[in-house]
Amino acid sequence: MTRPIAEQEIQRILALVPWIVAHPGTTKRDIAERFDVEPVALEADLDLMLMVGVPPYSPGDYIDVEVDDDDRVTLRMAESFRRPLRLAPREGLAILAAGRALLAVPGSDAKGPLATALAKLADALDLPDVAVTIAAPDFLAEVRTAVDDHEELEIEYWSAGRDALTTRNIEPLAAFYAAGAWYLDAMCLRAGDLRLFRIDRVRSVRPTGRHFEVTDDVEARDQVYHPRPGDATITLQLRERARWVAERYPCVSVEELGKAGLRAELTVSEPAFVERLLLRLGPDAVVIADSAGDSPSGFSAARAAERVLARYRATTA
Amino acid sequence: MSATATRVERVLNLLALLLDTDRALTRSEIVSEIIGYPDSEIAARRAFERDKEMLRTMGVPIDVSVMADGVEAGYRVKPSDYYLPDLGLDADETAALHVAVNAVALGTAAGEGALMKLTGTAEALGASAGGVGNPPPIAALPMVPALAPLFDGVRRRAEVRFEYRGEQRTVQPWNVQSARGQWYVVGYDVARRGRRTFRADRITGDVIVGQPGSFTPPIEEAGRPVRLDAPWELGDGEVMRVTVAFDPSHDRGALDRLGDDAVVDHGADGRTLVTFDAVRGDAVRSFVLGFLDHAEVLAPAELRADVIAWLESVAAADAPASQRTRAKKPTTAGTTGAPT
Repeated sequence: MTRPIAEQEIQRILALVPWIVAHPGTTKRDIAERFDVEPVALEADLDLMLMVGVPPYSPGDYIDVEVDDDDRVTLRMAESFRRPLRLAPREGLAILAAGRALLAVPGSDAKGPLATALAKLADALDLPDVAVTIAAPDFLAEVRTAVDDHEELEIEYWSAGRDALTTRNIEPLAAFYAAGAWYLDAMCLRAGDLRLFRIDRVRSVRPTGRHFEVTDDVEARDQVYHPRPGDATITLQLRERARWVAERYPCVSVEELGKAGLRAELTVSEPAFVERLLLRLGPDAVVIADSAGDSPSGFSAARAAERVLARYRATTA
Repeated sequence: MSATATRVERVLNLLALLLDTDRALTRSEIVSEIIGYPDSEIAARRAFERDKEMLRTMGVPIDVSVMADGVEAGYRVKPSDYYLPDLGLDADETAALHVAVNAVALGTAAGEGALMKLTGTAEALGASAGGVGNPPPIAALPMVPALAPLFDGVRRRAEVRFEYRGEQRTVQPWNVQSARGQWYVVGYDVARRGRRTFRADRITGDVIVGQPGSFTPPIEEAGRPVRLDAPWELGDGEVMRVTVAFDPSHDRGALDRLGDDAVVDHGADGRTLVTFDAVRGDAVRSFVLGFLDHAEVLAPAELRADVIAWLESVAAADAPASQRTRAKKPTTAGTTGAPT
């Protein structure tokens, strides 16, 4: 959400004034740094403050900005703005949500300064609590420790896309929570490339004792699934009650069809993903097209259904 | 002076006037007092409305009352409503709030705005001094615009109205919370007369916040988390006892979802037998089919029959003749992709 420039500037001035009033004699440079504004913008803000006053608007009723030879700023006659504005709902919600989310990360100090700060905030501002639940998969702590220590791990990993359990060595680079799950960005030594792992699919972890060097800055990825060029796509016609598919998985396009539901083109990296989806959806989804074209499709709901049925028949027999 | 600077100056003076006055002021009093409003009455009125709206969006509590003449509206801002109380945060607490806002990506700058007001700076104190940038966030919980008014409704106990899946809803919001990476509002749906959970990102259009103090949230709802992991527990039908056999390679994922209430046993064939209560058979079916041929419903018999019938219809509906022939061959895993 970007806010209009005038509004941003007003917000900044309303935060600047009480702070400078409370910290008289701070240099312009320090103020600009603290509020992360360009020096010219701060000059403009100070100039504007001189134009703000209250009735009867005689010379002594305007905010008085005094700057000494060392660029130290002091404000007078800013009585109206001596305290910052209360938090807007979105601000109160955002800071509570951020605090609660961080406290919900396994391993956080539930009684530390963040917890006491949030309690003071909720109390003084009469804010309702915002509950945040964050998953705690089995090996999260081990994985995060290895990220911090730059230690290579041997993991057993269940690849959902291929429906297979594999063992591999990885260099864990960053662990983060997104879209409801914990992910691990790591260099997979078997593939010789970066891979994204879901930590709840890690079945065992063994620290190898080997340490690796982090060469580049590693930034957490902003999205959890990156379609690769050449990834297959599949177009599904979905009934209304299968809309969750389009909301949950990355789509190339979504077309609304009114009463007929919707049509979604999804990227798919692995056949098992589609099989699983089609089995669950049954008559709620119809395959319209798949990018594999004329070649035999990599995925077939019918074949998957037959495979599962075989298990059921074996038990009955 | 630029148009923006003129507007900023005018709005700041408007706010100073509204805060300074000890009685409500009419619009004409205000626009004649403050420099910067247009001379034409219509234009001045429009400019005043825009300024007032801007202050409201910023969260300035403008108090509107009816003047003594019984006709005109009077405006003021009560300092006690406006001023942020001093929270008495110590240095560690201030630093902890900065860390939290930086570590959790909410997709909005509102957290920084709150920090600026609360602590006098939006920058993490250690970060700029040390010359290193902030570390990347460790959690992403993107917010949608609907959440702020919903939260306001919770705080002020005001009914909210919004459009959800094409229908108009009136809800007494009890709490706003996040689970499985999504934001939800839980409350009493007035028309449907019951507790409902709404996903915030499915709300379309604006959320209208009604009169404050219009309901009392039930005490047992305080701190009660939404439970979304087990859709088969929802609904009003009869409870059935379900047993599913999982291959040992896949039982961990299953048990993560089923939680501590499930009873675990080991079958003679080496599979893991898990027994749990469910209400909705379709939700169990969807859950179990997510494991493909690594899970099998054993009981109750009706549910097992339902899953088999479902699978048979998928097998018949989806497959063109050529593929059906192929499917009858002894099956293989059928998936030999590149390693990941």
